[in-house]
Amino acid sequence: MPVIYRASLSYLLRHPWQLTLAVVGICIGVAVIVAVDLANSSARKAFLLSMDAITGVATHQVIGGPAGLDETLYRELRVARGLTNIAPVVEGYGDAPSGPVRIFGVDVFAERAMERFADLDSVATDDDPTSLIGDLLTEPGAALVSEATAAALGLRRGDMIELVTAGRVHAARIIGIFESTGGAADDVLLTDVATAQVWLNQPGRLTRIDARLGDHPDAVARFQEILPAGTRLLSAAGRTRATTEMSTAFMTNLTAMSLLALLVGLFLIYNSVSFSVLQRRGLIGVLRALGITRRQAFTLVVVESAGIGLIASVIGVLVGIGLGERLLVLVSQSINDLYFRVNVTAVDVSGLSITKGMLAGIAASTLAAAVPAFEAAAYPPRLALLRSTVEHRARHLVPLIAGLGVLTLLVAAATLWSSARSLVAGLAAVFLVIFGFAMCIPLAVRGLAILFERPGRHLAGLPGAMAISGIATSLSRTGVAIVALAVAVSATIGVSVMVDSFRGSVSAWLERSLQADVYVGAQGGPLDPEVIADLAALPGVAHVSSSRRARFEYTGGQTDVLAIDMAPGSYAGTEIIDSLDVDVWRAFDAGDAVLVSEPYAYQHEVAPGDTITLPTTSGDRIFPIVAIYQSYDVSASAILMSRDTYDRYWDDTAIDSIGLYLDEGANADAIIAMATAIAANRQALRARSNSDIRVLSLEIFDRTFIITDVLYWLATGVALIGILSAMLALQLERARDLAVLRALGMTPAELGGMITLQTGAIGLFSGLAALPLGVAMAYILIDVINRRAFGWQIDMDVGAGVLVSAVLFAVLAAVVAGLYPAWRAANSRPALAMREE
Amino acid sequence: MPGFAHIVAAASIALIATASTAADQNEGSRLAKLLAGDPAAGFARALEPRAFDFPHDHGPHPEYRNEWWYFTGNLEDASGRRFGYELTFFRVALGTEPPRSDSAWRSNQVYMAHFAVTDASSERFYVAERFSRAALGLAGAARDPFAVWIDNWSIRERPPGSFAESSPERERWTLSAADDRIALKLDLAALKPPALNGSDGLSRKSADPGNASYYYSISRWQSSGMLSIGAETYAVTGHSWLDREWSTSALADEQVGWDWFALQLSDGTDIMFYNLRNTDGSQDAHSAGTWIGPDGTATSIRPGEIDIAATGTWESPSGGRYPSGWELRVPGRELAVTVAPVIDNQELRTLVRYWEGAVDVRGRLGDIAVTGRGYVELTGYADTPSSAE
Repeated sequence: MPVIYRASLSYLLRHPWQLTLAVVGICIGVAVIVAVDLANSSARKAFLLSMDAITGVATHQVIGGPAGLDETLYRELRVARGLTNIAPVVEGYGDAPSGPVRIFGVDVFAERAMERFADLDSVATDDDPTSLIGDLLTEPGAALVSEATAAALGLRRGDMIELVTAGRVHAARIIGIFESTGGAADDVLLTDVATAQVWLNQPGRLTRIDARLGDHPDAVARFQEILPAGTRLLSAAGRTRATTEMSTAFMTNLTAMSLLALLVGLFLIYNSVSFSVLQRRGLIGVLRALGITRRQAFTLVVVESAGIGLIASVIGVLVGIGLGERLLVLVSQSINDLYFRVNVTAVDVSGLSITKGMLAGIAASTLAAAVPAFEAAAYPPRLALLRSTVEHRARHLVPLIAGLGVLTLLVAAATLWSSARSLVAGLAAVFLVIFGFAMCIPLAVRGLAILFERPGRHLAGLPGAMAISGIATSLSRTGVAIVALAVAVSATIGVSVMVDSFRGSVSAWLERSLQADVYVGAQGGPLDPEVIADLAALPGVAHVSSSRRARFEYTGGQTDVLAIDMAPGSYAGTEIIDSLDVDVWRAFDAGDAVLVSEPYAYQHEVAPGDTITLPTTSGDRIFPIVAIYQSYDVSASAILMSRDTYDRYWDDTAIDSIGLYLDEGANADAIIAMATAIAANRQALRARSNSDIRVLSLEIFDRTFIITDVLYWLATGVALIGILSAMLALQLERARDLAVLRALGMTPAELGGMITLQTGAIGLFSGLAALPLGVAMAYILIDVINRRAFGWQIDMDVGAGVLVSAVLFAVLAAVVAGLYPAWRAANSRPALAMREE
Repeated sequence: MPGFAHIVAAASIALIATASTAADQNEGSRLAKLLAGDPAAGFARALEPRAFDFPHDHGPHPEYRNEWWYFTGNLEDASGRRFGYELTFFRVALGTEPPRSDSAWRSNQVYMAHFAVTDASSERFYVAERFSRAALGLAGAARDPFAVWIDNWSIRERPPGSFAESSPERERWTLSAADDRIALKLDLAALKPPALNGSDGLSRKSADPGNASYYYSISRWQSSGMLSIGAETYAVTGHSWLDREWSTSALADEQVGWDWFALQLSDGTDIMFYNLRNTDGSQDAHSAGTWIGPDGTATSIRPGEIDIAATGTWESPSGGRYPSGWELRVPGRELAVTVAPVIDNQELRTLVRYWEGAVDVRGRLGDIAVTGRGYVELTGYADTPSSAE
């Protein structure tokens, strides 16, 4: 090892706290990136794996309308058309005591062509030659579970479990346990088509017909030709892709938040590296005098920092894997709440995620070292360089950096303006805004320091004035700490304002759209028509509305149609955002007109006056769009249609839920109790008052943002470490000055107080600088990111409370971070400190 | 086709016995095991001779556990290109009570079918296999009019039409099957009435009275139609043979398999004989056969009345050594013929592995030289059932 690197190493080892802080900063950043990436990719992979397992070698799927396919189509294809590579599937969800399960009904003989997750040939391999296929075919309720499920639930062959589907209770008997790799089929209850039809109350219907057509376009075209109207042939891979893409915006946002943590970590390592360079200005001067070149000095600092980055990244990756497991729970919970079912139990540690984290860590630490490295290279070959020279230079740089910052902000604005719909460009703009603002902060801090010098003197006399002006005169050090804290606090403000505004809008929307007093549905299936009739006849029920959600899939996506039979006077529950100049509700009731949700209109770029084509029972049909309505329903963008229109074009009488409008003075809870009792022998109902639903919906909303909370707390943690490190560095460097103050008669308490005042002021300045950045971020998150990710508009609501508490938080955080450096400085022995040079 | 219970029993208990006594059980078909049902009581048993009622009895007998419709035949095109085929439907009942369900898919009847074509001139042998439940019309059997089918493979009674060689009261059926590489569509006209095998159709397979089946044959059908192999289609004519059997029980434990011969001689005589083999290699006393004269009169052949000696062997690439080529004599009828497979490899590597192939017959009957064609089935030589592919 060349001598200069040995010198560098020994310096770092002699300053372990400094090394530790640099490592911790990058470490947290890398950990968060790796954790988010692992959680995202594990959730996605688990979903893809389960789709693969369930799709088997099927290349295509025949699907029908909202009520599925007529099962006789399967006979037609097999017996009349002689097709063999097809298999029927009846699929749906039910509730087992352990949680939701995917009921997967198949025909064992047709399965031989599909090579699906449960290779039935390999199930009963033990000595007991039970008639597995025989039982599956003939015994109602016979089912199989995966090995992992059996182990998790302590199930053995022959055990019974209770299953609730479509509000009815069924008994399932476990007749076999199949192998499943990677937990792909861990929520699957595999059963016969006949059992699945009975459980899911779909006699005569198939969910789909899987087909193994291969890639040859002729085979696909030929197959397509023989399919009747009202059915569609979709590629299995395309269907999976369309489902996963629903969650892309959500995952992109998470990744962006993880980058924020690294960004704050970047400030931290910049802080550490530049401090170490400053502190070694003497050493570097000597080395330069001894003949090392500018390039060597530059390389030395960069390599040193990259080395720290490497170590920190390795630790960060390890921490990230652990953190990823926790995040995964939150991520998969949110995906389940919002998009699709995913059953994921373990983080899948992928090399790609680790590589991303390592590269980000090393790149960030190298990048952060660039400026200090230039500084080191610029030192003239002298024995010593005055601290004041550095500070002098920094002072000159401050306006220049601020100018660059303004330029960056302009670029951010241009990015926002020019990228009409791109989410990634929107997120890039967020980062540009952060960088731009960050570069202006040192100048702002200098202004604030001048502004606050007088109050500081008022507050604490000369030490007070010194504390405040000290911030400005040591900007090369404090500036970065302030920026880091300001960025973290502004993220808190931006995200809080966004979440609060979003929550407010959702809450108002729920308030308005939940017009009925009581909503009734059945678990995992449509309501029994007789139950509906009985509920409508209950005393106290004035009107009944109904809704049916039908999902239509097409190549590359899916759309939900909400077929609604509204109660009289409940139209006001739907907020019209934009409409044609006609009587919207008359067109909706009497004609074929439909309304589209705001997210739908945004994603599909349609407006009132456009049309929409939907696959009806008798083939494709065009429907005019008369209006756009407000909706914050994320799971699928929706089309609103009157029940009459729906009944005209689809052969589907099912009703998913009804709304009960009560007479004046009727008690919702009493009605719920009566409804539940009346249906008890037929269907288990889920009946809730509108206020309960509102509370429940907001709970789900809040759950979604837990991840957001976790991520910005991590970013704030990094910033606090930054403050601690900056203050420690500052006190250490000024040890002699402080010793002089002590020698001049300042008591340890006074000295500690002065330093605490200084850190408090740093917190205050950070908090104040964070305000405009936070509000700007909130604006971009609401108007750009949310719009581009989900298609809806949110009313921005900046609460004073959020801003005040953010500033207070910054002050408090800085004071806490400064306590130890203050204590250290106060307790240093002045004589020793003065003797050192 | 006597104890063909073994093959059907892929779906019933007999196969389990075979599979689990086989030396290497792991090699055994797992699906075969899965399909095995309980030895359920409640099924009807073939204990007494019964009065057959045609065409009624061509249809299914679901009160018995197993049943099959077994067509084999020798065909040729105008240029004399020689083919053989087998199309067999097996029915297996998984229970006695028809299940009641809201779902049309619920059924306790399972069907299995084998379709094989022998192309003698190119020495190729093609096999396909199907399974299905008898529900929703996916598979099943019916009487009045008669039909048995899985997917698009079927044998059906034809509506009245012209078929010159058949007398009007005889059966006229259509046979149709197609797979990826082979397809066959034949018009069949029975040339003889059903011949009852065993004692008036009761065919005992062992000393245990329950081990018996009802068994009849229509040993000669005029056959004509189209046979496709790959892209080539041939207009073919020839003769087919139908075996019909239903039962509930299977072979006795000491019986390992059988050699079954169905020969159609040029003078109009048809001969069926099955040789049941015991584990010790001896011929089982319950081996039996039927001599069906040109006019359709059926006479039993007892084990002592026939002498069959293998003249060669064939080694299956999948393991197992089969006899290949025989000298067959019925001294009482002055019959002495050689029976030779048209090609060696006619082994079906299906759920249960067995050899079933077209044969040529040549020799003397009394003073006259006779030729003939036929089918031979050999089971119990491949020591384990093949794994289902």
